[in-house]
Formats: sequence, C-alpha cells, structure tokens
Amino acid sequence: MSDAAVVPRRFGVRSRTPAVHNTTLNRLLVGLLLLVTLIALAARLLAPDDPIQPAGDFNLPPGSPGHLLGTDLIGRDLLSRTLWGIQASWLSALAVVLVGLLVGGLIGLVAGASGGWVDNVLMRLTDLFLALPGVLVAIAIVAALGPGLVHTLIGISIVWWPYYARIIRGEVRALAARPHVEAARLAGASRGRILRRHLLPGAVPTAIVTASLDIGNVVLLLAGLSFIGLGQLAPAPELGADTARALTQLLAQWWVPVIPGLAVMLLSLVANLGGDALRGLLDGRR
Amino acid sequence: MIGFLTRRAGAAIAVLLVLTAAVFVLQQNSPGDPVKAYLGANASPAAVAAERASLHLDDPLASRYWHYLTQALRGDLGTSYRTHRPVTADLGAFLPATVELVVVAFLFALLLGAVFAMLRTIAGTFVRGILLVGATAPPFLLALGGIILFYAHLGWLPATGRGGNDDGFLLTHSLVTGDWAQLGAGLQHVVLPALVLAVAPAVSIGRILRASLQQTLGADHVRTARAKGLTEAAVFGRHVLRNSIGPGLSMAGLQLGFMFAGVVVVEQIFSWPGIGNYLAESIPAADYPAIAGVTVVLGAVYVVTNTVVDMIQALADPRIAL
Amino acid sequence: MIASVEDLHVTLRGNPVLRGVSLSVRPGEILGLVGESGSGKSVLALTLMGLLPPDAHPQVTGAVHVAGTDMVHGSAASHRAVRRRELGVIFQDPMTSLNPTMRIGRQITEVTRDRGRAVQLLEHVGVADAAMRLRVYPHELSGGLRQRVMTAIAVAGRPSLIIADEPTTALDVTVQAQVLSLLRDLRDEYGCSVLFITHDLAVAAQITDRIGVLYAGRLAELGPTRELLSHPEHPYTAGLLRSRLSLSTPRRRELPTLAAEAGPRGSGCAYHTRCPLAVDRCVDEQPPLTGDEHVRACWRDISDLPSDETAAESGDLDGAADGAPVVRLRGVRCDFKLRNGWRRAGTLKALDGVDLDVAPGEAVSIVGESGSGKSTLLRVIAGLIKPTGGTREISGGTQMVFQDAGSSLTPWLTIGELLRERLLPLRLSRTEQDQRVEAALTRIGLPAEVAAARPRQLSGGQRQRVALARATIVPPAVLLCDEPTSALDASLAASVLNLIRQLRADLGMAVVFVTHDLAVARLMGDRIVVMTRGRIAETGTADDIVSRPQADYTKTLLAAVPEIAP
Repeated sequence: MSDAAVVPRRFGVRSRTPAVHNTTLNRLLVGLLLLVTLIALAARLLAPDDPIQPAGDFNLPPGSPGHLLGTDLIGRDLLSRTLWGIQASWLSALAVVLVGLLVGGLIGLVAGASGGWVDNVLMRLTDLFLALPGVLVAIAIVAALGPGLVHTLIGISIVWWPYYARIIRGEVRALAARPHVEAARLAGASRGRILRRHLLPGAVPTAIVTASLDIGNVVLLLAGLSFIGLGQLAPAPELGADTARALTQLLAQWWVPVIPGLAVMLLSLVANLGGDALRGLLDGRR
Repeated sequence: MIGFLTRRAGAAIAVLLVLTAAVFVLQQNSPGDPVKAYLGANASPAAVAAERASLHLDDPLASRYWHYLTQALRGDLGTSYRTHRPVTADLGAFLPATVELVVVAFLFALLLGAVFAMLRTIAGTFVRGILLVGATAPPFLLALGGIILFYAHLGWLPATGRGGNDDGFLLTHSLVTGDWAQLGAGLQHVVLPALVLAVAPAVSIGRILRASLQQTLGADHVRTARAKGLTEAAVFGRHVLRNSIGPGLSMAGLQLGFMFAGVVVVEQIFSWPGIGNYLAESIPAADYPAIAGVTVVLGAVYVVTNTVVDMIQALADPRIAL
Repeated sequence: MIASVEDLHVTLRGNPVLRGVSLSVRPGEILGLVGESGSGKSVLALTLMGLLPPDAHPQVTGAVHVAGTDMVHGSAASHRAVRRRELGVIFQDPMTSLNPTMRIGRQITEVTRDRGRAVQLLEHVGVADAAMRLRVYPHELSGGLRQRVMTAIAVAGRPSLIIADEPTTALDVTVQAQVLSLLRDLRDEYGCSVLFITHDLAVAAQITDRIGVLYAGRLAELGPTRELLSHPEHPYTAGLLRSRLSLSTPRRRELPTLAAEAGPRGSGCAYHTRCPLAVDRCVDEQPPLTGDEHVRACWRDISDLPSDETAAESGDLDGAADGAPVVRLRGVRCDFKLRNGWRRAGTLKALDGVDLDVAPGEAVSIVGESGSGKSTLLRVIAGLIKPTGGTREISGGTQMVFQDAGSSLTPWLTIGELLRERLLPLRLSRTEQDQRVEAALTRIGLPAEVAAARPRQLSGGQRQRVALARATIVPPAVLLCDEPTSALDASLAASVLNLIRQLRADLGMAVVFVTHDLAVARLMGDRIVVMTRGRIAETGTADDIVSRPQADYTKTLLAAVPEIAP
C-alpha cells in the first residue's frame, strides 16, 4: 500500500476537515448549556451567603474556609457574588437572544416567505440597522438612557435582532427557491400551510444554532458594557462591573477582579461549545 | 463606480443622521442634568437657568437637533459640558491615540487571523488553541491577565499610557522624524492593549478565512491548476488565496468597525488617552455633546471602513460588480 | 505506451473503487472509458494524474505509468513534471473548472508562458477575437466557449495524453458535437492520445478508436469501437446497448431496461445480480479478462443471451381523446427582468409568443436546448409563473414532476405526509387516506412501508417514483414532466419513463414532457414541439419530426444527436 499518489500539501489547509460527529460528546456539551441555565436559575439557593452584605474578613484568598472563592474588599463572599452575577449575565443574555430570535425571526420569516415589496421594505429597514455600528449604538442608547441592567438589555436588543432577520430571511429564501415549495404549491397546499409545514421547519435548526452560538457574544458584550459602567448599578452583583470596581486591587489581591472575569469566560466558553455541539447534532440529523 | 460611491455616501449620511437623532431623542428622557454637572452642585438656580438657556437646553428637541446639524456642517460639534472645550478640539486631541491603537491592533488581528487560517504546523495548532480560548474571554480579563503576566510578573511591558505625549500621532510622528527611542517606547506601550484588542477579531477573521480556504481548495478549478502541473506554492498563491480572500476581507472590515467600539474597554484599563476613554468618562457626566461627537466620528469611521472593504472585494473578485 | 495501468486497486474512504484494472493508452489513439456513475472511471483519471484527493485517504496498489513515470510511487515533483509536460486535462463542468477570478489569458499563459502562443491556441480551438478574449473572465463566456478555453489549456503544453472526463456532459447537444469534432481534430494535428471518459456509449462511439467498459471498478470489456458496439461480448455491454434510447428505439413497445441490482455482490463477478446469464460460478469466482485485441471478463458465452424480442407490446399509445383541449395557450410571452445589483441590465424574453394546445389524454414532448424556454413554458402551464402576455386556459388540474426529485420532496416530511397533503381537499377519513396512499405507492411499484420513510432514505430512482405517486394520487388532467430522468443513470431512466407511460395509459391523463433529448422526446410524445429562443420552431408528430424535419433548427438538432451506427 502506498499513498504517494496523493498531492502533498504544505500550504493552506486540508480541503475538508471531518466534522465532529461524536454524538455522545455533543449531547454532553448541549447538556452543559442546560446545566448552566439551571445554575443561573437556582443562584439564590446555591449561593452560601448574601451577595451584598459582608460575610467575613476582607480580601480572603480563594480556598479560605467558608469562602471557597475568597472575599472582596469589604468582606463579601465572592462565590455568592459570582453565582448571582452568573444569574444576571446568563439570563440577560438568554433574554436578548430570545428577543432577537423572535423579532428577527418573525421579520425574516415574513420577508423571506412573502418576497416582493414586503421583503424589500423589511430588508431595507434591517439593512439600515445593520449599517449602524451595533455596539456603538448600544453604548449610545445606554449612555443616553442612563446606566442600569434593564436599559442595557434594551440597548443591546435594539441592535441585535437585525442579524437574525438577515439569517432567517436568507434561509427561508433559499428554502423557498427549492422545488419542494413549488411542488407543495402544486399539490394544493395553502400559503399558511406552506409557511408552517414546508418552510418553517427548515429554518428552525439554523435559527437555534445561530442563537445558541450567539449567547456567548451577548454575555461578552454585556460584561463589556457593565465594565465601563453601563450595566447593573452598585451594589448589585454583576460580573463585568465587579471586575471594574476591583481594578485597583489587581496587583495586591488579583482574585477579586479576576474571578468575576473568569466566570464571564466560563459562560462564553460553555455557550460556544454548546452551540457548536448543537450544530453538530442537528447537522448529523439532516 | 461613481454610482456606488454616491449610494454609499447617501447611506453614510442616513446612518449618521439616525445615530445623532437617537442620541438626541434618548437624552431627552435621561435622568442626569448636564448643567448641574457643568456648573457644579452649588450653582444657584438662576445660574442654572441662565446656563440652560445659553446651551439651548430648553428649546424644543427638533430645533435643537436642527441647530446641532447646521453647526456640525460647519465643523462645530458643540462644547463639552465636562471639559468645557469644543468637542471637535477634544476629538482632535484624543482620536489620534485611538487610531494608532486600533490600526496596530488591526494589523495584529490580520496577522494572527492569517496564522489561524493557514499555518499547518504544530505551532499553528498551538496559536489556534490559544486564540480560540482567548476569544471566549472578555477583553478586560485578557487585559488583566496580560498586566499580571507581562507587567507585574515578567516586567517586560508597561501597563499604562502611550509612553509619550497624550495627543497626536505618536508612533507615526516618531517614525517619520526618525525618533527611534520614542518609537521604541511607543511600540512597547501599544503591544499589550493592541494584542488584547486583536484576539477576538483575529479568531473571527481566521475562522472565516479558514472555511473559505477549505472551500476553495476543494473547488474544481484548483484541481485544474494542479492538473496543469503547477507547484503547490503556485496553486496556492495564484488560484486559492485570491479566491478565498473575499469573505475574510469583509469579516476584517466588520471587525475593524467593531474594534473602534471595543476600544472603549481596553483604553480604560490601560489608561490609553484615546476617544474610548473620553467616551467612558463622558457617560457618567451626562456629557451629551461629547457622546454625540464620539458617536458621529466612530459611526463615520465604521461606514467608511465598510465602503473601502466592499471596494477591495470587488477588486479581488471580478464577478462582483459595484 | 503513453500510459499504462496494471492491476490497479484504489480504495477511497475505505471503499474499494477500482478493483484490479489493467489497460494501456496507445500513441495517437482515442480510448473511451464508459461506465455508469460509481463505476470508478473518474477515479481512474485522477489516479493517472496523481491527483487523488488526500482527504479521502486513498490506498493504491498496482502499477500506474504515464510516459514512463511511476504515478503511484515516486516523488511529488516527478508527478508534477508529468502533469506539466505530458498531460492535458478537460473536466466536465467548464464553469467551475476555470478559475473565476483569473483572466483566461493568464490561465493559458500559465502553461504556455507565451502570450502569442495563447492567442494562437485560442484561435485554434475556434474562439473568435482571440487576442481580445484573453482579457476576459470565465463568467463572461458561454458554456461552449468555456469548454473550448479548457481544451486550449489542455493542449497548451503539447501533451502526449489528454484526459477528458465527461467533457461534453454539461453541454447542449449541438455544442457537444462541436467539442467532439474539435477534440478529434486536435488529436489528428498534435498526434497525442486521448482518454475519453463518458457515461454515454453513443458519445464514445462518435470519437473513440477503442472502448473500455467499466463496471463496479473492473473492466467488463475492452475492444475496438466498431467491433465492441456491433458484437459486444459482455452481457453488461450488450445490456447497455440494448437499453440505450435512440432515435430508432421502437415507440410502441415497453422500453428495454437493465435489471436492477438485487442482493449482495459476493466475491465473484459484480454484475451477476443483474446478469441474465449468471450461473453459480459467477457468484463466487471473478472472471479474468480473456481475448487478444477484444477482451472481456465473463464466464458465459454471449450467444446464450436471450434475444430482445421478448418485450411486450404495451398496446396503443396514441390515446389522445377528442374534446376541448385541456391546455390552451395563445401568444404566451414571458419576460424576465435581469438585474445587476440595483440596475436594470435588460430583459430576457424567455417566452416570445407561444401557442400550444394539448388534447385530453394526449402526450406532447417539448424539446429544446438550455435557454430555449421549454421549462418556463412548463411552469406557465403549471401556473407557477404568470405570463407577461397572452392567454392561458387550463381545464382540469395539472401536476408536475421535477428534474431533481430529491429537492422536490420536503426533506423533513415523511412520504406519507407528502402524499396525504394532496388528499386534504377531499376531506377523507384517516383510513381512507391511508388506503389511497397505499394504492398510489403500489401503482408506482413501491411497498406501502415507504410511507413512513423520509426522502433522504430513498434512492434517486425511488424518489422520482414517489414524486410521480404524489402527482397521480389524485389523477390530474395533465401531468407535466420537467426532465424527470436527466439526473438518473440510463437503465433507471428507462424504467421511470416506462412508469410514466404506464400511468398515462392507466389514468388517461395528458402528459407534457420536457426534455433536451430528442430520442426521449420521440419516445414520450405523440407530438413533438421543438423550441428555440422562446419560440416554437416546429411542431409535428413524433415520427415526422425525426424522419422529416422541416425547420432548419430541428435539422441541426437532429444532426447533432449522437447515434450508434448500425
């Protein structure tokens, strides 16, 4: 046996890397998404101490008895603050993605399925929003409304839906161009039935995968905004804001600013891995 | 081409109008009182009223917006409530630092993105792994880690400032005048913030470029090129790279736009005297002229970047008509 | 020998694709390699070039030599040198095989390194204004011109062997004829050899000196073209020849088909499950290639093959009934606005004044090349496109079968759900629905269990049958067929055509059958409508059009149809 008849490739990449289709691993990773959501929902029960009241000595390092992740400048339990912060970040991110998915998805579905002037009007509107620098608009909106978690969520949601509208619309248009939709029309299916049975199910996997991969982005953006003071107001726990407030301690007690940052990273990592795994599972099923 | 530029100019104006209008409408509903911030908390009610009148704050929103637009056309973006200087002067002082930071970061992002997409050695896999993990971290965490490692622990890199004057194009200027000591100091200062800013865009660019290279490598015309007996280097250089670069370029343009917004966080951590820091300080002070000014400038940068990227893409691929 | 292959085995992704092929290309000859999809003919070409895709993890044993160089072992540089000096290649799809972002001049000079010679070459392959065309990008050329450019690149390095892998499959039949004669001329002029790969025996018959028939990764038969076609010695070749639809295939008889593959292949002859001559020995023992100039791999004697006069007369096909036409088109026009981004780039007249009547139960074939408007016409009849002008009257329902059955079935719905959708207006009970579905599936020759399957679980032929079941579960007045068999292998295509004819006879529907293939058009229609450039060039009875064409365009079309001379 010899494989010398094969082209050697020193440059570039392999022409196709095998997709990860390890179903068990993928299911585990998607399970991780659900686990984090459960943890976020149950933060109140899981947190050992009150996140706002001091619960021990100042600046205890991680591993201290009774304070697994240590305490901050005024003695608040960092594990409790981080759990509450995870709740705020993760649920907010889910909310933003859900709003984006519903609003963008509906607009994309209607635009893609109707075509013609409806499609034109809706997509011009979407394009206008897409032409705006999203993060900047979010900053401007929050800056103008004043800091606060709800304002931040409104700000991000306003700039977030157009991506979904574009993606879903593209997917629906691609599906609508397939002969199966014409075949359904000839078979006598009504417009509503075509939308429901022949278009929507095809767009759902893409929408779900896009959304789950997006949770991580929203988590990062939220953390960034609250880091510059546009998120949750003190003293409520919020991961980005907690890091920013403890910046001066960086060189003396590094864990106080770094632990909430690591929590953000963990969330975004879980979201990315889970989203990729979900894509793997859905691709494998097609 | 002319039609394309006209359309883009129109779109740019629309974007800037929407942005400024958004700032104006939203500030109407905002809680902070800029005049109190401007005059100090002890100012007499009469002084506050007089100041409000002189700032036209009591005029109807539409007339204030119109006033702002006409002034802006003359190059006047109003006066900052916080610094008491014209916003254009502030922007002129802070923008160069941001531009230099973002340009260096963008070059890093392109370089790392190319490495991410193309390097097939162990080193490539290593860089890919580092970047992938790094991209899931919030930029402020990267910055903190970088400061702890390279400043506090190793002492290789400074953690704050630009290593020279706050305003002006420090790097460009020292490069042009041949001030090598200043250039070295400036570069040393820019490395860490630029790297932090570059990680996430590098992964986005690298991923897209990689996927597009993979697709092109499997294309029929690449098989034709190999069948001609071209060397792998020629196949890659002439037939693969140019055909794959489009998606990577448009992602790079998108990321350049994002970087001008992401710079806010990084500048704050590294005390970089740029426009992002300026914005971050203006927000708590409810300094609307400054916020609007920054929004206008960054919005314009964003639109121009996208236009340039579209033009480069059309150059790379003759099938795309502008 | 220009190129020789000795006992070549190639495994891709763990599946054996070539299983012991030996052949050689002689100086100056055109060797045809014929086989259906999956027979391994393209893999053989890639092996000769040393370009097997590495991500398929190819495993190669045996010897492959091109111009004296070992293409299995040896360095990559030596393989490259062979490709540069000795080989020229023409691939199937000229659109994707040329680099879309490089001017064609550059793509030729990459090989010639000389602009003057590039111009010469282009003129040589029949590209007008060659010097100007050098600056053009591939997407600015027509399909035929692109394949000419591809041919120019193939001969640019003065190769000793041109490998042409289905070079005319993506082309219209008139363009195909031009490219074939160009290839023959170039061979005569340069004295090079050509390895010509195709799935169509008749195309191979036009141009080759010898033909090798490949079946499941082995040579079934190899011999001089004339002899092989007139006296095939392998049952597979004989079957291919017999089931080929030509302009002289009897119209009123059921179309001859090859048996479908049944059961496992075993260790013997891969064809035994389909072979009418198979005996026990064929199951277990691989027959060797025997013979001198004309070799074949078969244990049996071909003269034992039953004669093909057994096919039953399928009765009267001319079932057109009297009465008002079910389709009546008058002066139908259809304009498409072409856009380039935002700008209007012009108008395409897809249909430019078409009159057509279809009588109840009549079978009409519409034949034309790509861009003739034949598919648009079908869509107008179906009501999928609103015509820009003219009148359209349809009485009774229409149903349509598409070219690509796979994509015409909604992927996430089961076959049962798809079929039941057509029964919705009838408001039947669930049991009645199930009965109708079962009856429809039985009628097209599929088991009732298929109702629970999803489209991707079926083969290409089965999907097309399901599409037919959906169209006929409630019989329409007119069944519209848009090239339903052009994506299928020849023997499978014939069985689907038989099914359509059977359904028409059973259900009494009219059939409008669109195809690019005159032979198929003649077999499927009582009447043929020849279309070109959005107009009807000629209408007539099937036999009149083929034997006594009136319009010039019909004559050109007829002359270009590749036929095997008796």
